Formats: sequence, C-alpha cells, structure tokens
Amino acid sequence: MMIEVSHISKSFVSPKKYPGLKGAIKGLFSTEKIEKKAVDDISFSIKEGEIVGYIGSNGAGKSTTIKMMTGILSPTEGNCLVNGVDPNKKRKENAKNIGVVFGQRTQLWWDLPLSESFTILKEIYDVCDEDYAERMEFLNRVLELQEFFDRPVRTLSLGQRMRADLGAALLHNPRVLYLDEPTIGLDLVVKENIREAIKEINAKYKTTVILTTHDIGDIEELCSRIIIIDQGKKIYDGSLQKLKDLYGAKRTVSMEVRNYNQKKLANLWETLGVKEEDYETEYDKEQRILSVAFDKNKIHVPEILTAVMSQMEVKDVQIEETQLEDIVKQIYHSGVK
Amino acid sequence: MKVYLPFASNELKRQMAYKGAFYLFLFISLFGSFISYYLWKAVYGSANSTTIGGLTQQEMIIYVFMTYVTSSMVTISLADWVSEDVVKGLVAMNLIKPIDYRMSLIWRAGGQMLYRFLMPGVFVWIGLEFYKHYALGMPFVKFTTVLCFLCSASMSFLLYVLFDFCFGMIAFFTTYIFGMLMAKEALLSFLMGQLIPLSMFPGWAQKIFEFLPFPSMVYTPVMIYLGKYQRSELVFALGRQFIWIVLLYALGSVVWNRVTKRLVVLGG
Repeated sequence: MMIEVSHISKSFVSPKKYPGLKGAIKGLFSTEKIEKKAVDDISFSIKEGEIVGYIGSNGAGKSTTIKMMTGILSPTEGNCLVNGVDPNKKRKENAKNIGVVFGQRTQLWWDLPLSESFTILKEIYDVCDEDYAERMEFLNRVLELQEFFDRPVRTLSLGQRMRADLGAALLHNPRVLYLDEPTIGLDLVVKENIREAIKEINAKYKTTVILTTHDIGDIEELCSRIIIIDQGKKIYDGSLQKLKDLYGAKRTVSMEVRNYNQKKLANLWETLGVKEEDYETEYDKEQRILSVAFDKNKIHVPEILTAVMSQMEVKDVQIEETQLEDIVKQIYHSGVK
Repeated sequence: MKVYLPFASNELKRQMAYKGAFYLFLFISLFGSFISYYLWKAVYGSANSTTIGGLTQQEMIIYVFMTYVTSSMVTISLADWVSEDVVKGLVAMNLIKPIDYRMSLIWRAGGQMLYRFLMPGVFVWIGLEFYKHYALGMPFVKFTTVLCFLCSASMSFLLYVLFDFCFGMIAFFTTYIFGMLMAKEALLSFLMGQLIPLSMFPGWAQKIFEFLPFPSMVYTPVMIYLGKYQRSELVFALGRQFIWIVLLYALGSVVWNRVTKRLVVLGG
C-alpha cells in the first residue's frame, strides 16, 4: 500500500463569536470555544499507481485531509502512513517522497525567472544532473515549459503557471502526487493538456495521484476510483463505474411534439401501468419540448416512445444519460442511498 | 548547507530585480545618517564639554556612520517575510519541501545581508575611513579591529534574525502583525543604539540593557570598531553575543514546534 489512512480526524478550535457590537464586547471576555470537526474519522488505503479522485463540496474537508497527508497539519486523532513514513512525525523525510500542487497557490519564486525556481528545487531535493536532464526533457515534452522558461513567474498566465507548478512538483520524481484543484480557472485546452500530462506521468513513473477537484471532467478522464466526503465524513469509496450504476439509472427523454395534450398523456401512463413516483414529466410550451425523466430499470425507452408517438406527433427525440455532475449533486443534497 | 545556499543567492538576485526599491532604501537611510551627523555637530558645538556620553565629536561621527553600515546589514526583517507567508498562506508551500523553514529564512536573510554589505555598506565604510584619516587626522583603523568588528557584526546578524524569527511567530497567532512590526522597528532602533549611543542613557537604564539582547545587535560591534573595549571586555562582549544566539535559537525552536502543532493554514 502506498498510502494508509486510518481513523484520521482533525478539529479546529476557535473562540466563540457573538453577533453585534454587544456580542463583540462579550467576545472580549468570553473564553468559550467552538470545536469544529473538519475531518471526522476517515480511513482509506491507496495502492501504488492508482489515480484517486477525492471529491466533496466546498468545506467538506478535502484540503484538510490532503494537508494531513503532506505533513502540514497534524491530525487530532488517528494517523496515516505515506510510503511507510508518518508525515506528521517525519515531515522532511515524507516531503522527499511527495509532490504537491495547490491550484490556488504557487511554490515557485514569484519574482524570479522560472528557470531559477527549478534550479533551487534541484538543490533542495538533491536531484543529480542526469536525472534532472532526463526529467526536464520529459516535462518539457508533456508540459511545454520551454516557451516561458526564462520569464519571471509573476508574468506567467494562470495556465502557464499551473503547468510550471505541476512540473516543479514532479522534478524530484515523487512517489505520490497530491493535486488540490489543479485545473481551477483554466480554459478547456489547458485543462486537457494538464490531464494528459497527469496521465502520462502516472503511466511512465507509476506515480500515485490523489486529486481533489470540482471539475467532473477531471474525474471522468483520470480517476478509476473516487472517494467522496461530506462534512468531514467519508460517504463513498469505490469505482466510478459502480457509482454510475448506483445513481446513473436515471434517463431523460426529450421529445419535440405537436398537439401536446396533458389529458392524453395522463391516460398514457395509466395504460403503461407505471407508478407516479417512477417518472417526471415536464413540458416546455415555447419550444414544445416534452421531457420525461425515468428509472431505466423500470421503464424502457422504446415503451415510452411508442406510447407517446401513438398519442402525439413527435418531431425529434433526444436521450440523455445522467451526468456524473448530477450524481454528485444528488449525493450532496440527500446523502448516500 | 548546500540545500540552503540557493535561498541566499536567490535573495541576492531578487534584490537586484527591484532596483528602484533598493536605491530608495539607500537614499532614505543615508539621508537619515546625514541628518544625525549635522544634529550631533550642532549638539557638540553648543556643549560645554568635549565628550558626550563618553564619545568625542570625531568618535560620534564614526559612530553615526558605522551604525548605518552595521544596522543596514544586521536589521533584516525576517518577521516581514513570515507575516507575508502567513497572510498569503504560503507557509504550507514551505512545509511541503524537505527543508527547515527557519533555516531557509536565515539563509535568505544572509543573501540580503551580503547585498547590503556590498552595495552601500562597504563604500560608506571606506569613505568614512578616508574622511577620518584626511579630514579628522585620525589613523586608519587597525586590521585586528576590523576582524573583531566583522566577527561581532556577523553574530549581530544571526542574533537579530533569530530574534526576528521568534517575533514573526506572533503572526501565527494574530494573523496580521503590520502594526507590531512598525512598533518593533521603532523600539529596537532605540534599544539597539541606532538612534543614540546607549552610553548616553542614565546609569540605571544601562543596567537593564545589560540583560537584554538588543545592545548586542548594533551597539556592541560599533563600540568594538571604535576600540572602546579592551581585551577582557572584548571577549566578554563577544561571549555575550554568542550566548544570546544560543538562547534565541533554542527559544525559536520551541516556539516553532508549538506553532506547527496548532497551525491553521489560511484559505482552506
């Protein structure tokens, strides 16, 4: 196992705040504290070479978990092992095994040309000249760093900076790569480049990747396994396919119809013998589109189509599968089935 | 060692990248020294005795400019960097690297120290020596004195940055320490002897200073340069600097360990 996290918890203690001016004065004398559990008893293990998507809504505790795995924060309870090292006890030793990209921050030297940052990192991680040359050649190919290698970091665009940051995190060939929202704010082309780069790195060096993101595209393209957390608790851990099977049973058929008639439609469901909770219909008057959302295990698409077509004139049909985004939304709202 | 060297060389390069800020710093601080030079001239001109606080007028001129040379090298505000890192949430970016945060800051400060020593420091110093020799008719400074001064000034630098690191740790608890940094600078310029020689303070105040690390930061090396310390006094002054370095190093380690335990990284 590359990463073993067992029963890890982190709570933050902050002084209690009271509302209003009176409250502010009260706050000066109060010693009451509020304890907030950001991460609550999470366990999982990750094998070498896996790419795992770690997802959850804002403030769910994703970044806090990552920070405990990198040794920045110390857990309140529980512990974790990364490549056999406890990051909390041996931060520096652990740091040699990991690479980190925080999408919203940079580890590069802001005022200096990018090349300088790489030279410093070479020294810090004690990368020998041969490895450095080989690694740079690879990074240049997948991330195209050379076009802005001599420019000061502060003049780089967000996409360039993110590529540079990813390169910087990979220079010492880490066993584990943590990516905290690596594609935030990037345009589609750059996103695609970054994803391709991550895939190549994972394939070539067998780097274990843990990725937090709000971008469903990242997950669909990269991750074979996902972990979902909500309010500090793990609520799902398994393959992407399984999640889709569990939640992705919903289909939507949109039909452009003439002579729409609500009464006829109601009769139609009765003749089909379908219960009311198994479907949802919606009619868009302006565009004349009737959309029916249903459970694909209970009703079949042809049944609906023939039934509707027998009553109304259908001009166009579109069938949509549930997007992962909808599944995640659904889980955030109502929890796991 | 080799790991931290780039921090120093990069700070050097960074300093050169912002030329405007550097020349402004140079101008303002030199300007201040000339103001105090003329002030002291006026004070000595109207004084009844030839020495004030144990210094003659010539010695006072040397004091003013050597204080400038020393403090521009020594007073490198680590705490500014720490507070910047805390506010921007960059401490995390330092903790993901296999390095010691304090060491990287000290080496970075070392780079800046070297730059300030080379850029105005050494030239002001040489200029002062010529002025002293040809205008004031005093002999050039002795080589051994220069060695002792450089040794003491290096320790002053370490002492100052170690103290400033401890001070910067406050940023982790209060998040924003800009006001405190200003207050620190004002208070320290007094306590280090940057504004007026400590020998001009009343006796009881000087007794208190004996137990504080601040006189060792600027006052001690300048007094060594002026040749005010004889053998045993010199050894005592250097020894005291060394002890303060050890103490502040230990204090910094303790505080840092506590800070990282309760670290809250800003911005998620």
